[in-house]
Amino acid sequence: MSDPIIICSDVCIAYGRQEVLHGVNLEIPRGAFLPFTGANGSGKTTLLRAVLGLLPIRHGTLQTPFNKNPAGYVPQHRVIDPLYPVSVKQIVEMGLYPERKWFRPLTVQQKKLVIDALEQLDMAEHMKKNFRELSGGMKQKVLIARALVCQPEVIIMDEPTSELDEESETEVLNHLLQLNRDHGKTVLMVHHDLELAKKLSDIVCKVGRGNAQIININGGQTDA
Amino acid sequence: MHDAMACLYCQFPEALTAGLLISAICALLGVFVILKRAVFIGITLSEVAACGVAASFLLGIPPFAGSLVLVLGAVSLLALPFENQRIPRDTLMGILFIAATALTILLVCKSGTGLMEVNAVLYGDLILASTKELKILFGILTPALILFLAILRPTLYTFMDREGAKVLGIKTWVWETIYFLMLGVIISAASQIAGAMLIFCYLVVCPAAALVASKRIWVVLTIAPLLSMLATFIGMVVSFNFDLPTNQTICMSCCILFGITALASLTYRQFMPVSQQA
Repeated sequence: MSDPIIICSDVCIAYGRQEVLHGVNLEIPRGAFLPFTGANGSGKTTLLRAVLGLLPIRHGTLQTPFNKNPAGYVPQHRVIDPLYPVSVKQIVEMGLYPERKWFRPLTVQQKKLVIDALEQLDMAEHMKKNFRELSGGMKQKVLIARALVCQPEVIIMDEPTSELDEESETEVLNHLLQLNRDHGKTVLMVHHDLELAKKLSDIVCKVGRGNAQIININGGQTDA
Repeated sequence: MHDAMACLYCQFPEALTAGLLISAICALLGVFVILKRAVFIGITLSEVAACGVAASFLLGIPPFAGSLVLVLGAVSLLALPFENQRIPRDTLMGILFIAATALTILLVCKSGTGLMEVNAVLYGDLILASTKELKILFGILTPALILFLAILRPTLYTFMDREGAKVLGIKTWVWETIYFLMLGVIISAASQIAGAMLIFCYLVVCPAAALVASKRIWVVLTIAPLLSMLATFIGMVVSFNFDLPTNQTICMSCCILFGITALASLTYRQFMPVSQQA
């Protein structure tokens, strides 16, 4: 197995006094496609939010490469309020924020990055459309393009297909697999369907009973 | 049009300048008030500012100081995290609104001033703006406008997708705090001249018209102040020519402009093919 890109050592995460996860030890391999599965309320999203730095950890250490290279974060598409009159292109441009200078327009190279990210997901022809006019699957693909535009090593997704129909779900998951296989991106995603997760990857991170462990689908435990 | 403007400017230069300035800046900030679905914060802060002005009468301090203290206090209270509380933020806004409205009347009564002053505090009167008030407005609103334009992009990203922005390294709490403090300061500075109702109108009605008119954020941010300034000018001309209360006439002018924009937008969408719509 390749070197770990994210290391959790004895991590404890709590909401107020209530500990959701404790003593979590994980080594997430570089280039892995890792679905996080578990029952509702088991702490899947909590763990990924902590990895992203959106939730503080109570104790333990969490090593990520996100200080140098921010993660490509893909939330559920309903996070973007349809009230916002923003185009697909503007949503994707948001991903370039860390590299942009105050008041400066996008450089030619940055514009190309935006188009490339949209093209990877077959969304370039919709770049001038308003985000709210798109279907759920298309919105999700735009958010994946936003995550890709800053060329992250790791892409983290919170139930990216939860509100999509079967066809859109397959399409989005195929794109993610392609990103993982062809571009070597490490993909972490919360997914409630263990059976589907097993079809996508050889390993899954099972979250439950206040802990998380990476399990080999073939039966072995790869990391405790 | 030109004659009306010249005549109005000759007789009430401070009122016209103050009206256009307040309308433009409030409309610009109002776009984000609507997008954040926090319209109630506009009327709450306006009422709290009016309460501060009333308290200033009683204490004998400058009205801007009184309204600024109370508005910043209210903003700080509303900035507290409400995610895991038993009541939502809206409810606290409602309580603040009721308290500020009632307290304003009580304070004005206690200060020994008459009904005219109560009306002036609650509804303001743009036409009575003085040179001193205009200077204060300029001193506060101009830097606020420059600051707002400088933080436009991170503020938009913060409001649109808070967590996504955080992951990208945007200090969301900084931009959110700056925005609401700026809103508080602008409302405080404008409240004595414009009054709670007109400020609320500027924060909501003209930005709403801009949002109805366009589906491009930069277009919305450009036309909201322009529509607001146009409505202010029309309202002042009508008020001047027909001897009507200025602030209320401007409010009606804003609402009529919103109605026209909404109707025009609806007609446009009805008859233009989707592919050709801007």
